[in-house]
Amino acid sequence: MTALLPATILFLPLLAAAKILLLPKPMKGLAPAVSVGSVVLTLILSLVLWAKTGSDSTTVTLGSWINLGDMLQLNIGFKINALATGMMLVVTFIGTLVHLFSLAYMKDDDGKARYFAGLSLFMFSMTGIVLADNLAMMFIFWELVGVSSYLLIGHWFEKNSAAEAAKKAFLTNRIGDFGFMIGILMLWKATGSVTFDGIESAVRGMTVDPGWLTAAILCIFCGAVGKSAQLPLHVWLPDAMEGPTPVSALIHAATMVAAGVYMMIRVSFLLALPDAATAAHVIAWTGGLTALFAALCATQQNDIKKILAYSTLSQLGYMVMAVGLLAKEAAFFHLFTHAFFKALLFLGSGAIIYACHHEQDIWKMGGLARKLPRTTLTFLIGTAALIAVPFVTSGWYSKETILHAAHAHGGLLFYIGAGTAFLTAFYMTRLCVVAFLGTPRAHGADHAHEVPKIMLLPLVILAVPSVIGGFSFFAGRFLTLPPADHDHASHVPMIASLIALASGVSLGWLLYRGRDRDPVRISLLARKFFIDELYASLVSWGQDAVARIIHYVDILIIDGLGVRGLSGLAAVVGGGLRRLQGGNLQAYGFLFGCGVVVLLFIALSLH
Amino acid sequence: MPAYFLEIAIVLLGLGLLMVDAFATTLDRRLLGHLGIAGVAAVLAGLVFGVDSSASEPLWGFYATDTAALFYKGLALVCTLLVLVLALEYAPVLESYRDGRPGRRGLGEFLCLPLFLCAGLMWMASMTDLLGLFVALETVTITFYVVVAYMRRNLGSLEAGVKYLILGALSTGFLLYGLAWLFGLTGQTNLAAIQTVLVDWKGDTTPLLFTMALLMVGLSFKVGAAPFQFWIPDVYQGAPTPITAFLSVGSKAAGFIVLIRLLEPLLASPIRHAVLLMLGVLAGATLIVGNLAAISQSNFKRLLAYSSIAHAGFLLMALAAGQPAGGVSPNGVVALYLGTYLVMTMLAFAVLVIVRKAGGSDELTAFNGLSQRSPFLAFALVLAMASLAGVPLTAGFFGKFFSLVLIAGAGQWALLTVAVVAAACGFYYYFKVIRCMYWNDPVSEAPPLVFSQLTRVAIILLCVAVVVLGVYPKPLTCLLAP
Repeated sequence: MTALLPATILFLPLLAAAKILLLPKPMKGLAPAVSVGSVVLTLILSLVLWAKTGSDSTTVTLGSWINLGDMLQLNIGFKINALATGMMLVVTFIGTLVHLFSLAYMKDDDGKARYFAGLSLFMFSMTGIVLADNLAMMFIFWELVGVSSYLLIGHWFEKNSAAEAAKKAFLTNRIGDFGFMIGILMLWKATGSVTFDGIESAVRGMTVDPGWLTAAILCIFCGAVGKSAQLPLHVWLPDAMEGPTPVSALIHAATMVAAGVYMMIRVSFLLALPDAATAAHVIAWTGGLTALFAALCATQQNDIKKILAYSTLSQLGYMVMAVGLLAKEAAFFHLFTHAFFKALLFLGSGAIIYACHHEQDIWKMGGLARKLPRTTLTFLIGTAALIAVPFVTSGWYSKETILHAAHAHGGLLFYIGAGTAFLTAFYMTRLCVVAFLGTPRAHGADHAHEVPKIMLLPLVILAVPSVIGGFSFFAGRFLTLPPADHDHASHVPMIASLIALASGVSLGWLLYRGRDRDPVRISLLARKFFIDELYASLVSWGQDAVARIIHYVDILIIDGLGVRGLSGLAAVVGGGLRRLQGGNLQAYGFLFGCGVVVLLFIALSLH
Repeated sequence: MPAYFLEIAIVLLGLGLLMVDAFATTLDRRLLGHLGIAGVAAVLAGLVFGVDSSASEPLWGFYATDTAALFYKGLALVCTLLVLVLALEYAPVLESYRDGRPGRRGLGEFLCLPLFLCAGLMWMASMTDLLGLFVALETVTITFYVVVAYMRRNLGSLEAGVKYLILGALSTGFLLYGLAWLFGLTGQTNLAAIQTVLVDWKGDTTPLLFTMALLMVGLSFKVGAAPFQFWIPDVYQGAPTPITAFLSVGSKAAGFIVLIRLLEPLLASPIRHAVLLMLGVLAGATLIVGNLAAISQSNFKRLLAYSSIAHAGFLLMALAAGQPAGGVSPNGVVALYLGTYLVMTMLAFAVLVIVRKAGGSDELTAFNGLSQRSPFLAFALVLAMASLAGVPLTAGFFGKFFSLVLIAGAGQWALLTVAVVAAACGFYYYFKVIRCMYWNDPVSEAPPLVFSQLTRVAIILLCVAVVVLGVYPKPLTCLLAP
């Protein structure tokens, strides 16, 4: 295979973004068409790439990028295997539907061209992450998705909260990315390579110091913690819901936030090393705790998008846990199915918000099942997949594989996973009961009417893989399914999740059926464990303390000893130079002569 | 086609345009500029596609056609092309400082003289003989004397011309004296022959050191290295802006190619360590002087003058390393640095020409609020400043990076420290310009910024080059191999 096909898939969205930006003002109306055209084309090309690749794994090179001899050689290369092509299909498929949905959702927006340019830029960056064959390239695209996410969260930047959320997302990610960068450098130092293949063959051939390896893996994992919003860097994702809802569906549910998991799967050969057990343990626990924590928060949120955001955090926690348990197939399987049903749920919530005249509080909805029957149906299908209704939804199969892995591993993580499953069933039932049943509780919901066809179409299309996405005849085509171990398969995970589902749904039904107000008030959960407040005070307290220390150091040491001396020197030198540069030709000639004397003196004294 | 056809073509082009200027009295002089641009572009195409460097040279012995020579020829041609574009843009200012009726104010000659400069620079790139080298150098310098003082009714321009002439003559004297010593010591004028004599030098090294010092004096002046940099701010400020651009790029590149060619035999001789030490001293002094003095500048042209001194410091530092490191050679780094320096400096001067034409001032205050008056120009200047400061992912990063790699490889930690501090200073004064453009409000009733489509195309191409070379330096890194 040549590098032409992946390169086309990569650069097509960039061309689209550039073209939209360069369109003259009166022709900005063409922007959606350009953007949608490029994403449809990349979907088709991704299908071609998938069909051509099959189960092969190849690395193709477009060209040399930076060549510094022995120090560093970087290629613009693509590592194409079943993982990459499967991820590409997810990204482009959901990307296409989100673009279509946006056509209607953003119809009357003034910044439409900017919005679609942002989407195309995102598609470019995400494709780069998926296809890159080395960590340096991946890091650059990693930052680029950060930029496009920033632009899209802050799309309505006149709104203060949106601008703040965009900034928060960017800065929080910076913390993780810093770790990622250090991790890349550490791996480079240890193995002399930054390509996946090079690192893999290097670590196979030699032993890396265990401490160094653990530190490197955990630093790289920092990047995933930031991008996939794991504890403790999860704070940006709920706020990121300030962006337009289609963006939330594409970037903050289905694809970009999964990039962290994807990256960890790409480097999972490191976790499989015997020396990396500690690192894997840390990763698994980070994921498990995030899953539980986010599910707890989701039970007390009232904003429909916030509920879904916490549910995304929780599901990402599952995936990260699976990566840590060395069940990378299970992690990617869940990533795959989650992308469909979570995109469906987000687009569905977008449709509901649109229908209810931009009302996001579920307590101001109610009775929507009668007003929006089709939207409700698709939303319920997504919900069924998320809470893992057995045998007929995709979420059931993928979640089962993760719980199996946790059970096989033993210990507390399995119970955390099962508990999260219970909470998931509970909070989604709460959402559906409150929003769809009962009577409308506000003007917006009362006057809601079914959304236009172009918004409904992506919902219907996404409902299909949400159902069949977990069946092996479908999923097996696109990804490597976890090996089924029928002989030793325990029935404990299945029974546990059935109990979790049944109890979660019934509790939600009993508590919330027919209520107009939330009967449960747990401010600890509603306020998300006060983590935002904690960070805010920590930052300000820490900053004050550090500032005070630095202030004294500044006054005593730097100012007293250093700067006074240095700045005095600079002032004297600068003033001296200025005086010399008086503009007087004779003076210049004299100085020239002095220079000659100095040079001759130096030269002859070297004798 | 042998390479020297290119110089002949440029000279013929210049002479032809002078004839047209002299006899076609009713012609719009701008046409000469356009013809010149087309001609230079054609010669550039000839250089890229048509030169057969392996052809037997009837001028062998004093005319080299190695890669370095061809690269510096290309540099001279690109530089001339851009200077002509700027000169056309600058024409109204130029004519306002000249006597005579409109259309007969010497614009035609002003547009032809850069071609002769270009021919001189191209010869210089190829010369491997002391005599040829000196003649080529003086062709360039004398032409510069004329064009620096070209705005006769502008006192600044006249003053710059006088200063440049007197100090330039002084430095030429030292250079010529050094060349005479070199000839006297070896009995040869050909650099290759000189090298064979010096490699086996058994006698006293004092005359060699003396020669080296004299050559350094002359060439330090040309490249603008401390302590011979005094002329630079005054001359840069007074000269017509397109000529300043030419001085800061073309003249510097010429100085460095001569320096490289003349030092080659000396570096092969027993005084190698003294040459490197001298280069290191000059580099350190130049870095300090250029960067410290730039901090307090409030005039954009003077700022660029000090910036050009600072860059000369980095270039000298690369040469002072003396040995390849990390797969890059000093001469290669100098070539790469000059190539990227051309792009970013020309971009800065292009914006300056337009702002100067509209506002009548080179002060930094003239750039206040440029982002509101013309976002395009402001963005272009941001790119130029970021690149001059050496921000990664702009063209300017790699030159600085590789010269630091070289000096670290040579283990000269004192010089490395000075260079890092100097680079940090650079951020301050380059970003001062960005602050003016984006944070300060424009003066009320600021005149509109008008410029031709040709200039717009040139600016866009330069912006693209700054970004592309910063992201994908491959086209230039092929120069780096030791």
